[in-house]
Amino acid sequence: MSSEDPSSDIPVIELKNLSKQYGEFVALDSLSLSVYRGQILGFIGPNGAGKTTTIKIMVGLAKPTSGTARIAGADCARDSARIKRLVGYMPDGFGSYDNMRVREYLDFFGAAFGIPRRDRIRRIAEVLEITNSTYMQDRYVESLSHGMQQRVGIARTLLHDPEVLIFDEPANGLDPQARIEMRELLLRLASTGKTLIVTSHILPELSRICDQVAIITQGRLRASGSLDEIMKNIRQRRTIEVQLPAGEDVSAAEQKLREHLQATEAVVVSSAEAVLRFDTTRTDKQLRQLLATLITSGVPVSQFRELQTDLEDAFMSILQQQDVATTATETSV
Amino acid sequence: MLAILQRELVAILRTRKAFVLQFGLALCLLGLIALRWPTDNRVELSGARSGQLFRLFSYGMLAAVAMLAPIFPATSIVMERRKGTLALLLNTPLRPYRIYAGKLFAVLGFIALLLLITLPAAAACYAMGGISLTKQLLVVYGLLGVVAWQYSSLGLLVSSIARTADGAVRVTYGCVLMLAVITLVPYFFMQDWGGNTSVTTSWVRCLSPIPAMMELVGHGAIGSTTAWTGVSATTRFLLSAILMSTVFSGITILRLQHHLLDQARSQGIITDDSGLAVRTARRAFFIIDPRRRSGNIGNWTNPVMAKEFRSRRFGRSHWMLRLVGGCAVLSLFLAFTVTTGTVQWDLETVGGPLVLLQVALMVIFMPSLAAGLISSEQENGAWPLLRTTPLSGGRIVRGKLISVGWTMLLMLAATLPGYAVMVYIQPTLWLQVVNALVCLLLTGLAAMMLSGAVGCWFSRTAAATTAAYVAVVGLFGGTLMIWLARDAPFGFQTVETALKLNPMAAALAVFNVPGFQTYNLIPASWWIAGIIIIFCFGVMRMRVQSLMRSL
Repeated sequence: MSSEDPSSDIPVIELKNLSKQYGEFVALDSLSLSVYRGQILGFIGPNGAGKTTTIKIMVGLAKPTSGTARIAGADCARDSARIKRLVGYMPDGFGSYDNMRVREYLDFFGAAFGIPRRDRIRRIAEVLEITNSTYMQDRYVESLSHGMQQRVGIARTLLHDPEVLIFDEPANGLDPQARIEMRELLLRLASTGKTLIVTSHILPELSRICDQVAIITQGRLRASGSLDEIMKNIRQRRTIEVQLPAGEDVSAAEQKLREHLQATEAVVVSSAEAVLRFDTTRTDKQLRQLLATLITSGVPVSQFRELQTDLEDAFMSILQQQDVATTATETSV
Repeated sequence: MLAILQRELVAILRTRKAFVLQFGLALCLLGLIALRWPTDNRVELSGARSGQLFRLFSYGMLAAVAMLAPIFPATSIVMERRKGTLALLLNTPLRPYRIYAGKLFAVLGFIALLLLITLPAAAACYAMGGISLTKQLLVVYGLLGVVAWQYSSLGLLVSSIARTADGAVRVTYGCVLMLAVITLVPYFFMQDWGGNTSVTTSWVRCLSPIPAMMELVGHGAIGSTTAWTGVSATTRFLLSAILMSTVFSGITILRLQHHLLDQARSQGIITDDSGLAVRTARRAFFIIDPRRRSGNIGNWTNPVMAKEFRSRRFGRSHWMLRLVGGCAVLSLFLAFTVTTGTVQWDLETVGGPLVLLQVALMVIFMPSLAAGLISSEQENGAWPLLRTTPLSGGRIVRGKLISVGWTMLLMLAATLPGYAVMVYIQPTLWLQVVNALVCLLLTGLAAMMLSGAVGCWFSRTAAATTAAYVAVVGLFGGTLMIWLARDAPFGFQTVETALKLNPMAAALAVFNVPGFQTYNLIPASWWIAGIIIIFCFGVMRMRVQSLMRSL
């Protein structure tokens, strides 16, 4: 994992109160975010959360309704010519042309970026090397597998040597081997000083490469910071799993457990697994007391343990918090 | 089969395209009837007025069916294959012939709906009197049904072969144009040659539904029933259409198997990486080796233009060389025809087929090349990538148009030797030849720009190509339809005004082709073509600019 460049306190990417509305629909709501040089930001959110809208604003494909987005000092809405030089963008779809070989495809985009022919030849060889794609340079783009296309897509974004790389779902649809290669490639790029924004639904992948994580739902930033910081906040709520010997004990055990829990401590039951799970903020001492009470009241507990929290849990926890907030708002209305 | 029929027909009827077609057709017919409906209280017993209207109505219907019938079948199978739903269909217990029948009947059902829409207009014609219900009206509808069957089965066949939806559309329309219009040309020019040539050309002519329709509406030229066989144009057309439709259907059903999906990916073999023997052999046999590694785009070359040539199936150097070769052969043939033709016709008349040939080439190729210039970028997801490059909208449009323009110039150059022979034989013709070439250049540019301007409003290439074909054929064919009705109901002034919109007609008038001699179309036609070209360029430029803009 790359570390933050201590020599630079100025963020490479800076979003301030970024909002975007499509008619009545609010796609982004006062989003503020900073990313520093050499960092990898994992941009997480459910479908329709506003990730792609944010990215489109950053690469100059959309204009914000209010707020500002700056990359290396350039305003994304007003200075699109500079932004195009500064940013390499790989969208979710590959964007291929029929009947073009990989080398020709890269040559076209290199020429489109105005790279002189001689430099372009050298640069294409370099980016193919970086992405381990040299062996496929003569293959037709449309005949490549999805994983190969993703690598060619990354090679394309690197052609003009941009400062910031934005990848929308780069691991989407890749097999495990290709995912590992993709992860290594992204880390390699970050180690060269590039700043990366990566969106993905495959959260364990992101947790392995990201320095920073931003979680967005319904156009609002719900959490951001380093992975450790987010985990720390999430860990204030712990998930406890109570394993029972058999599925038939579950309903009686659930009833007894609920008698000792508060209303905010939601219980999830899995009869098939013979498991009860609940979220709580209790301390270890309080949990020991709860366990003793359960055993005394005749619940046949075979295991009582805390589940480890990962990025996926953090994400789900934030979604749940949002659901609770939404329900509360609706109830008050 | 019913499940497929239902799904296909409902899918067709749900599209905006289907609604526009139905609404547009109803509106056109309404306008036509309103225009010619009697306004006085006198009863016309001769039925001449209703006859004129019926002719116009029938030709209009024929043009509509010929243009609309291939739209849906041309993309039907190829789209299913690309989306992966054909694999799902072939994995069901449905037999290929049932899948095929479902698709075909869905299209025919839609055409039947369109024909139903025309019934009130047909009833109005009939009510005006002078038209036989059984000998004319019903037979015309029967003929339209057969045309719809023939072109739908052709569209499905092409769709089962094509790799892309837009490719399928352009090949289908090319074939339709070939069958409906180009087949008329040999007879038009060689009918008096006598012997086997006349017989052959008269049969070739009957592959087109136009002579059959002319015969049915009482517009047929004397001699459309050949004495030696006594077989009418309608019968000949019906025979050939039924035979073709059966053959097309049979081949398509045979193709609807799993092997349609079982094709290997290209391994991208390059001669440069092969052994010395292979390299030497390929260099000896190919002027331009299709497997050679292409050079990088030059610093001063418009990258979009280079990309367009490379990503176009027939845009590669080796294909362009083949095109040049084909054009050279065509040129030689034309030069030969011109030289020998002077024995049969006036030298001037020889210019007619040259013009028609070039216009046919341009009407076939220009929409297919220019319509998808912008929509293909949107369809394959490359437009956002282009927008993130420093390329300006103007440079993108220029690059794309130049790539089509070069191909057009190449096609135009194909017939230059033919004209050169004409001028060599009769030097006084040079001014006419120059005028005709200007007309043809404008025809090509108008076809290109109109296709580009129409196509850029669509996000799907197949739809863009279809719309462009309708627009281009509407411009070149629509004005000729008015010319066809030049004696009645349209007067001289109306026909001349309509023909001024069509630079092809101006070129035909330059060579005094029969039927065009009386019209004075130059230079008005040039000005109008110029305005169309500039207007279409403006539309395209504006559209691209709006697509480039961040919203």
